Amino acid sequence: MRRNPGHIVSVADFSDETLRAMVAALEVSTEFEHLIYRESELDAVWSIAGFALKDEPDVVRREMIARLKETALLAHDLVADSRPREAADALKTLL
Amino acid sequence: MLSKAENDLLTQTNSGTGAGEYFRRYWIPALMASEVPTPDCPPVRIRLLGEDLIAFRDTNGRVGLMDEFCPHRRASLFWGRNEECGLRCVYHGWKFDVTGVCVDMPNEPPEYGFDNKVRISAYPTREYGGLIWTHMGPPDKTPELPKMEWARVPDSHRYVSKRLQECNYLQALEGGVDSSHSNFLHASVDAFRVTDSYVAKIRTSSNLRAKYHLLDKAPRFTVKKTDYGLVIAVRRNAEENTYYWRMTQFLLPSYTIIPYQKGNSIHGHCWVPRDDETCWIWTYTWNPDGPLSQEDLDAIANETFVHAKVEPGTLRPIRNKSNNYGIDRELQRTTTMTGIHGFASQDQAIQESMGTIVDRTTERLGTSDTAIIATRRLLLQEIHALQQGKEPPAANSGDSYWVRSCSLVLNREVEFDEGAREMMIAGV
Repeated sequence: MRRNPGHIVSVADFSDETLRAMVAALEVSTEFEHLIYRESELDAVWSIAGFALKDEPDVVRREMIARLKETALLAHDLVADSRPREAADALKTLL
Repeated sequence: MLSKAENDLLTQTNSGTGAGEYFRRYWIPALMASEVPTPDCPPVRIRLLGEDLIAFRDTNGRVGLMDEFCPHRRASLFWGRNEECGLRCVYHGWKFDVTGVCVDMPNEPPEYGFDNKVRISAYPTREYGGLIWTHMGPPDKTPELPKMEWARVPDSHRYVSKRLQECNYLQALEGGVDSSHSNFLHASVDAFRVTDSYVAKIRTSSNLRAKYHLLDKAPRFTVKKTDYGLVIAVRRNAEENTYYWRMTQFLLPSYTIIPYQKGNSIHGHCWVPRDDETCWIWTYTWNPDGPLSQEDLDAIANETFVHAKVEPGTLRPIRNKSNNYGIDRELQRTTTMTGIHGFASQDQAIQESMGTIVDRTTERLGTSDTAIIATRRLLLQEIHALQQGKEPPAANSGDSYWVRSCSLVLNREVEFDEGAREMMIAGV
């Protein structure tokens, strides 16, 4: 899936579909502007995961969401360091 | 979110800190020219970037800005006598000119020649746009003054106010680039609820903002890096074949220009760190084509928009934390979202409520916070570059500041930077 890196991915959840769209956008991002959009997407998915974690009663799912949140933070910091490909690789480990 | 290290780098502004050194590469507004109105007038205390300074206008009209404390015994020069081209400390009589040179030291024997060897830390000043600007960085790295339109128009076309805000500059600046808050913080209850009567009223309105904000509550954000900072473009659906675009300018290190509609006056802000926990907000309103209108003057007098009245001397807004910004809960219940009068006080109340320095490691951002993220990243990149010895290009590119914001309706196939190009060039 090739995405336009100038468009912000709509992040309403942390489903595989959303993560795939984020990975695809990360893989083609090169400019300052693109990295800003990617960071905002990762901020959004990290925030949503954080809210979900608070309310999740199931232990197994809690672990999964905690890992996702941690990985989103790692990817976020890689994007902040202008390393979008490595951020994409990090997110792929969740798929 | 930011790491703690990034947050510290952006919010600490004393000498030797990341943002502190970065601000010291620019000319920054220090005080109103009217604060030192006439030759030999009383000196004025001013705190900037964590430094306590004293400003005075000498007999020849030159403005000095120097360390507040006399190097002899550290007495405050606020008590000093402004006389014959210098400020004299009234404790032992040492006198300094606007460049900081000690020109008289009457309590020491003249044969020692001590006065020629003593200096007080002083910063250069320029008078421009009704303000006194200063450069607090290395003397061999003097930047260019920014060629901003509001500073270049005749006095009658401009109004500038200055006020104290009791929080770090960055969270105040972030409010300036975050256009999505205006639909809530500055909205009426009717606009927020989209009542029938409100819809009927704005359907025929010539105010594009009121009309199209209502029709599309999920705008798309675009940022574009420029020589001077960022253009932050927000797109909303307008009519079937058109988009409504609002372009905010962010100009380094800490200026914004609010989107304006052709035919109206233009407004903007500059946030200057006073120290890490307070900042000065400079707000400018200007009309490039003529004197400010009665409507503008009424908005200023009634504090309905971006300016706020302040206490003389402290420059603290009359509506402030100690009186809960004058919140009227009945007004909030029936009329406005905050119950606080005026955009300036609404912004101040919310930004100060976040604490003196926001802990950005715990915030929850989303894709509507793109402009905030872009502003932080740009500042962080610039600060990192300076730390590696690369001077900020914008500080030496005053001409690049000759821009305006804009808001307009464009056909959907037209890119905003192309469609708005002419409107975004300043004229004066």
